[in-house]
Amino acid sequence: MGNYFSFERFIYVFPKIISNVSVNFHIVFWSMLLGTILAVFVAVLRLKRIPVIGQILGVYISFMRGTPLLVQMMIAFYGIPIVFGSLFMNAFGINLNRIEPVIFVEIAIILNEGAFLGEIFRGAITSVPYIQTEAGYSIGMTGAQTFTRIVLPQAFKVAIPHYGVDLVGVFQNTSLVFTLGVVDILGKAKTLGAATGHTLEGYVAATVIYITFSLLLKGAFILIEKKLAD
Amino acid sequence: MIELVGVKKSFGKQEVLRDVSVKVNNGEVVVILGPSGSGKTTFLRCINFLERADSGILKFDGKEIDLKRARKREILDVRRHTAFVFQNYGLFAHKTALQNVMEGLTQVQKKSKAEATKIAEDALKWVGLIDKKDFYPSQLSGGQQQRVGIARAVALKPEVILFDEPTSALDPELVGETLEVIKNVAKMGITMIVVTHEMSFAEDVADRVIFMDGGVVVEEGKPDEIFYKPKEERTRQFLSRIIPQDSYVI
Repeated sequence: MGNYFSFERFIYVFPKIISNVSVNFHIVFWSMLLGTILAVFVAVLRLKRIPVIGQILGVYISFMRGTPLLVQMMIAFYGIPIVFGSLFMNAFGINLNRIEPVIFVEIAIILNEGAFLGEIFRGAITSVPYIQTEAGYSIGMTGAQTFTRIVLPQAFKVAIPHYGVDLVGVFQNTSLVFTLGVVDILGKAKTLGAATGHTLEGYVAATVIYITFSLLLKGAFILIEKKLAD
Repeated sequence: MIELVGVKKSFGKQEVLRDVSVKVNNGEVVVILGPSGSGKTTFLRCINFLERADSGILKFDGKEIDLKRARKREILDVRRHTAFVFQNYGLFAHKTALQNVMEGLTQVQKKSKAEATKIAEDALKWVGLIDKKDFYPSQLSGGQQQRVGIARAVALKPEVILFDEPTSALDPELVGETLEVIKNVAKMGITMIVVTHEMSFAEDVADRVIFMDGGVVVEEGKPDEIFYKPKEERTRQFLSRIIPQDSYVI
């Protein structure tokens, strides 16, 4: 490898890069939290088959699943200030052009997760045989009681492994944000590379960080799955 | 007393129930017979609103309820005084046998955990499954699951239990144990409406047999009247196919 890779330079850049992992975690945390809440609404509303709302959600899900996340981020980043800019300026006195780019990235991922997780949740809910819902009704439980006590606990178990995979996916997708000027671990690796003229060390460091946290997240979900299986 | 008047129900263009009226007295055991597609299961499901009838009146507990326009409160009220035993058991898969029986007692009847446990254990003892109380449905045979289903229904002390082909999903060897339990329910004096294909059971247990076909009640009467002196040609035809004949042509 010679000049291309030096272990000293790797040791030098690694701490600088890993200190930016908080940016990735910030994105993952807020996107998953709000994305999950959105997804619950999407799943439940879709299952209720309400006219018009059902169709709108169908289009929304097709759009989110049919376009790359990077494109959605671009649209959010450049589109939201143009469409809602004057509205926010007049109503709240907020200049959307001055808001940190990471907010738009998070909006894009939240909307994206609302669709993907929404479908995961919907599938998990429908995986619980309907006869159990009927049985709940037949013993006099209300719709809400039946849903929370009978359907949800079982749907939860079905959804957890998919949710874990999705979470790891979101963590890795946060690497896209550097294209919008958000300095996460990959962004940091790139800037350090440009500043020092040695790019590979930074990217290897980023790789190590991505792998480590991905495996940790995956491991955590395997533990949760095991716990739930008992 | 539970009475249904003029129940009608269609699925799309398919008319499943065309004006069915049935009256069941307190403590009476009524068996509904009929070929597949005669509407008997749909009729049963309309009684506790698992299916919403297109029209009809339910007279129950001194109240008159419009089957089509019933409000949530009224539906809940009917369901809380009736119980349903499903063809495919309908046990809660994530709960043990005991928890299945307790669920309605604690969540609907708001009994304390200790009291609910006592009632549920008694119910399981009564169906001969107390040693299986901590088993999950997937660990039980079909017959055992159905007996838990019956225990769950009986434990709620409903005024009426509706049985929807309770033995149709069971393999022949397990039918007996389940029918035995249902016979015991009948002896308790709970009003029962049973949809079944078990003729000898109907003959033994029923106070009255109703024969349905094509979405109407064709004939009703005492078991021996229906089985041995049916008035209607359609009843005779149906029975001749399922009651074992003296001679077989092989």
